[in-house]
Amino acid sequence: MHIKVIKPGLATSVQDAGRNGYYHLGIPPSGALDQYSFRAANLLLGNAETAAVLECTLLGPQLQFNVACQIAICGATMQPRINGQPQPAHQVLSIATGDTLDFLPAAAGMRAYLAVSGGIDLAEVLGSRSTYALGSLGGYQGRRLQAGDMLTLGAAPSTAAPVGRSLPTALQRSLPSKTTVRVLPGLYAHRLRPESATRFYQEQWSVSSESDRTGYRLKGGTPLQFQPREAPFGAGADPSNIVDAGYPIGSIQVPAGKEPIILLRDAVSGGGYAMIATVISADLDVVAQLQPNQGITFAAVDMQQALQARQHYQADLQQLRQALG
Amino acid sequence: MSEHLIHATLPGTFYRRPSPDAAPYVAEGSQVEAATVIGCIEVMKQFNEITAEHSGRLLSFLLEDGDAVEAGQVVAKVVS
Amino acid sequence: MSIRYTFGGDEFLFAEVSESMSLPACFTSMAITGQLRQLQIPGIMEICPANASFQLRFDPDILPAEQLLQQLQQLEQSLADSPQILDTRLVEIPVWYNDPWTREVGARFRQRHQDPQATDLEYAARVNGFASVEAFIAAHCGAPWFVSMVGFVAGLPFLYQMVERQQQLQVPKYLSPRTATPRQTIGHGGCFACIYSVEGAGGYQMFGITPAPIYDPAQSQPYLADSMVLFRPGDIVRFKPIQQQQYEEAIQAVADGSFQLDIFPVRFSLPEFLANPQAYQQSLPGTHHAH
Repeated sequence: MHIKVIKPGLATSVQDAGRNGYYHLGIPPSGALDQYSFRAANLLLGNAETAAVLECTLLGPQLQFNVACQIAICGATMQPRINGQPQPAHQVLSIATGDTLDFLPAAAGMRAYLAVSGGIDLAEVLGSRSTYALGSLGGYQGRRLQAGDMLTLGAAPSTAAPVGRSLPTALQRSLPSKTTVRVLPGLYAHRLRPESATRFYQEQWSVSSESDRTGYRLKGGTPLQFQPREAPFGAGADPSNIVDAGYPIGSIQVPAGKEPIILLRDAVSGGGYAMIATVISADLDVVAQLQPNQGITFAAVDMQQALQARQHYQADLQQLRQALG
Repeated sequence: MSEHLIHATLPGTFYRRPSPDAAPYVAEGSQVEAATVIGCIEVMKQFNEITAEHSGRLLSFLLEDGDAVEAGQVVAKVVS
Repeated sequence: MSIRYTFGGDEFLFAEVSESMSLPACFTSMAITGQLRQLQIPGIMEICPANASFQLRFDPDILPAEQLLQQLQQLEQSLADSPQILDTRLVEIPVWYNDPWTREVGARFRQRHQDPQATDLEYAARVNGFASVEAFIAAHCGAPWFVSMVGFVAGLPFLYQMVERQQQLQVPKYLSPRTATPRQTIGHGGCFACIYSVEGAGGYQMFGITPAPIYDPAQSQPYLADSMVLFRPGDIVRFKPIQQQQYEEAIQAVADGSFQLDIFPVRFSLPEFLANPQAYQQSLPGTHHAH
């Protein structure tokens, strides 16, 4: 009664809604980077919305099911195959004991979410099943999956979702190859030279290949210049340095003015680089679906616009729940 | 004689050599087997090897060492 | 001193107490965040004190941003004249200075260092005007350190030495970060010491290693029974030099899950400390008083 990992894929990990309340100890929230797609996959199956799933990145895993169950895959376009036969995504699929599931490499988007009926069953650590690999915490032995790992399933929902039920197209997220992400300027933005603060929002940046769950590093824009200053005690000599401080999830720092980094849900919780803006909560999912070398442009919004976007995001989630509830 | 295009399966950064100061995996014009490693793609600090997939002669690379690469992009041509 | 508040997106409020590091700035951050923790205001999800700042994560659907900001400003006012006293603890951390592991890693990454010819300790001693590595180590373990922040990665403490500013040890970080640092390395960057809680990348100079796990999800040592993270902001740390034999004995105890740390309760008074740092820190408890 388990799922055996034949091939782990590029970076597959167990994730859920993440853990709150430990960021002050350096333990970040973790959790599915695209929360919308993760919840959609669970809702399709009739699972609890935040049941643990597998987050599959670019190159999905190959899994052998020694248990009959239902699965659903949402998020990045990574053609799933059962025993080699192509299957639709965004749809409830039936798995028989002995079946093998694998994926073609991502054709669009970065992360697909594989939900199984009953969810991946693991002990919660600090209130969550999410993997925080840097701290060897949570998930499957605190790490990404490896070949030979055995995953067990939780109790299946009392009413099984009908096989073939699918996510309406209108509720599927698009996966563009370049996108505009909304940010709230602030934090240490005042330390930028005005021309750099303006240019940051005019240029297109591209996602660097080392981007991961900790952060997205961006290339291709003009280096940013900070205002010259006398370094405050303890801040460090470079004008992009600050006295080490906490980093918001989604905040954008620019070490030495060169390559901006957007921190995601496995963020380092703090450090000594000035942050100049923060991606609004409604757009964090979008960032995490960008592949290396894809384009990103930033649009500055104010708090009122950020909160409106938040309401839209929540309304979308509500629609999901109604459509699949 | 037929020409085969070798595609990248992953996006990332393309490298023709295993490390910056090493020799290239293969030179243009050399003989390759299907399992011969001809380059690698770095993504999320992991290096994923690309094999020739066909035996024959590696005609040319379409990417330079260190170039950005998209999934599906042609990396090299092999003639057999 | 008035705090600068700024929002980090729609879920974070960032508060800069001071642009520069100081114990009073850190104390203000801890006083406000400590009070907030007690108030248990619905909608506040994370309360993160830092060296000279703090940040909160909140749910704007429960607690509107403007309302949170007003509450904080009121709290800041109300705490302005409160006594600067902290009930905390002093933790003694054994350190094998100049140990073979950090020396080996340091040697491996020499090309990323300002002074490839010297070791990290030799460099740190020189830039701080000490005649020898021994004199530098004596200063490093001669006065206690204040845990001014926990973070970067899980359980990593930033430590600020409890001496007057002109005596603060200051060492630049590596020119570019190493890709490896042994777990439990005693590091130093700028004016902060740290203890690397996990193996990984790092840019701080490396001075030694402690056998004591400070972050352990398995909670194998008695002092980690309540929490997988040892340190809290506000803890006071005294480094205690040990040699190879004591280190190896300690490692054996760690393997058995029976390693003990000396931990003492302390009532810390900031004004008394600031009035005479030297005398005050010598009055703190510790095993050095036992002989």
